[in-house]
Amino acid sequence: MSTDKLKLYEERKKRYLTALECGKPDRVPVVITGNEFIIKYAGFTLQDFYYNPEINYIKAMDAFLQRYDVDAHFGAPMLWWGGLHDAVGAVYLKFAGRELDVNTQFQYIEGEYMQPEDYDAFIENPTEWIVTTFLPRIHKEFAEPGSYRASIALMKGAIARTLELGMLAKAAERWAKEYGSFTAITGISKAPFDTLGDTLRGLKGIMMDIRRIPDKVKAAMEVLVEHNIFYGLATAGGDTEFPVFIPLHRGAYPFLNPKQWDEFYWPTLKKVIEGLWAKGKRTLFYAEGDWTPYLEKIAELPEKSIVFHVDQTDIDKAKKILGGRFCLKGNVPNSLLAIGKPDEVKDYVKRLIDTYAADGGFIVDAAAVIQADADPRNVEAMVEAVHLYGKY
Amino acid sequence: MVTLSDELAQAVVDLDQDKVVELVKKRLDSGVPALEIVAKLQEGMTEVGKLFETGEYYLSELIMAGEIMKEVMVDLEPHLAGDTGEHRGNIVIGTVKGDVHDLGKNIVVMLLKGAGFNVIDLGVDVPKEKFVEAIKEYNAPLVGMSVLLTAALESMKETVAAVKAAGLGTKVIIGGPFMDEKVKEYCGADFYATNASDGVKAAEEVFGKN
Repeated sequence: MSTDKLKLYEERKKRYLTALECGKPDRVPVVITGNEFIIKYAGFTLQDFYYNPEINYIKAMDAFLQRYDVDAHFGAPMLWWGGLHDAVGAVYLKFAGRELDVNTQFQYIEGEYMQPEDYDAFIENPTEWIVTTFLPRIHKEFAEPGSYRASIALMKGAIARTLELGMLAKAAERWAKEYGSFTAITGISKAPFDTLGDTLRGLKGIMMDIRRIPDKVKAAMEVLVEHNIFYGLATAGGDTEFPVFIPLHRGAYPFLNPKQWDEFYWPTLKKVIEGLWAKGKRTLFYAEGDWTPYLEKIAELPEKSIVFHVDQTDIDKAKKILGGRFCLKGNVPNSLLAIGKPDEVKDYVKRLIDTYAADGGFIVDAAAVIQADADPRNVEAMVEAVHLYGKY
Repeated sequence: MVTLSDELAQAVVDLDQDKVVELVKKRLDSGVPALEIVAKLQEGMTEVGKLFETGEYYLSELIMAGEIMKEVMVDLEPHLAGDTGEHRGNIVIGTVKGDVHDLGKNIVVMLLKGAGFNVIDLGVDVPKEKFVEAIKEYNAPLVGMSVLLTAALESMKETVAAVKAAGLGTKVIIGGPFMDEKVKEYCGADFYATNASDGVKAAEEVFGKN
């Protein structure tokens, strides 16, 4: 790495990590969670990036990092590699250029891929249940477990995943070397309730289950606690310097009533976060939607164990209840980035910094993942405003 | 929480699935017209909607109420054939092209039906032409468009423009988590809603309180 890039890398890292520790760096850090926006900005189609890793990891990120002076980013824009999922015949995802138009965002087809009668087998041995029952249901190529076709598909899937991780590791080196840039997170995990409610049972399924078979839901979530702690650390390759990304879904207001939230959502999520923290791993509490009613509960987590991302949560209350205890991150509205004017974006960022960042522990980011609708000038205005108004 | 005079309507409010199923069966067996039973279910749903509006009920309760309705409607529908009954007007609704999220849409559909409207649900990822066709076919004074992804905003704008260009005087309400005055103006819609209750209020305004 050239000395000036290394210097930039170290400066940004220090700035970012200081804010995570609730401290006051030289300037408020700005992070961009880019995804589809990065692709559109770089001038490629969505099909290009779901299917062409070279575009995803190198070309699009080059264009993005050349223009935007951000302290950290969220990695390459691709969440799912189309090629990998095609190789195993995933039935729960649709991609641009195959089932969808070349510029339509990928679609996740939610379903009850786990049935209520599967709980016992899942609780008994989740891995065995996943391999023998779940994977065959969600992948055409695994339809007959143990068959020649399924064995080949397992190999193809595993090879593709290894290739993907290899490309990511190389890309990360490139981002550091060429741009002095790094990803804001290492690893990913979930709230046990979301593992069940997003992927396995689906929203309707989990909402029925908590009324009809509450004890089984609780037992399944207990099984998931250790798994989700391990998964967070494993996907980070053991790194504990940067936070693990936990995108939070069904715990947002108003999915569950307060009693259900206390009883079903919170206990196991708290255990996961505390378990990670006990191993030195901080959580990026990516609170999608509105979490205002639960701030007092969230404040019970160990000091600095999370970074609280503000989307539609009342930011005044978040600052009052969580400020000083946890770093806050957010919340430039995505609709403003899409249809606002650069000056409006700058005013918004200035107000954010003036009102919430004065005593440190604050990071500017969009309220939600930035999609293809954002105007590049507005994203630039967001970054510029932080450089302009964010110095301590 | 109020207590409704009808046992079936109250069972819906209480989300007592077994009791709702049992009462519907009992009433059908004893010759109560299916439409009358549906009216009681709707009365319960309207109260569920009110409880959601006042913050006493959450999405988990709405989803449960929706499932209970779906289950008993399977038994009721054969008895309703050809008997459309009276409703307060047609509303066309759908999630715009480019987006497949339907939770918000399904909840507002449920509450609109509960409030006595005939709702034509076009589903998800709906092209603008389909909206225009359905509005013409049903002569609907109000159309609802739902969206979760900000990336589908342009698609919503185009859909609103197509509906307005058809020149039928249709009122448009857009719904989704990031809706506000600014997004409404940008899309050229008449109303916006960030939750299902506001959607029902807009319908009341367009069709007039009964």
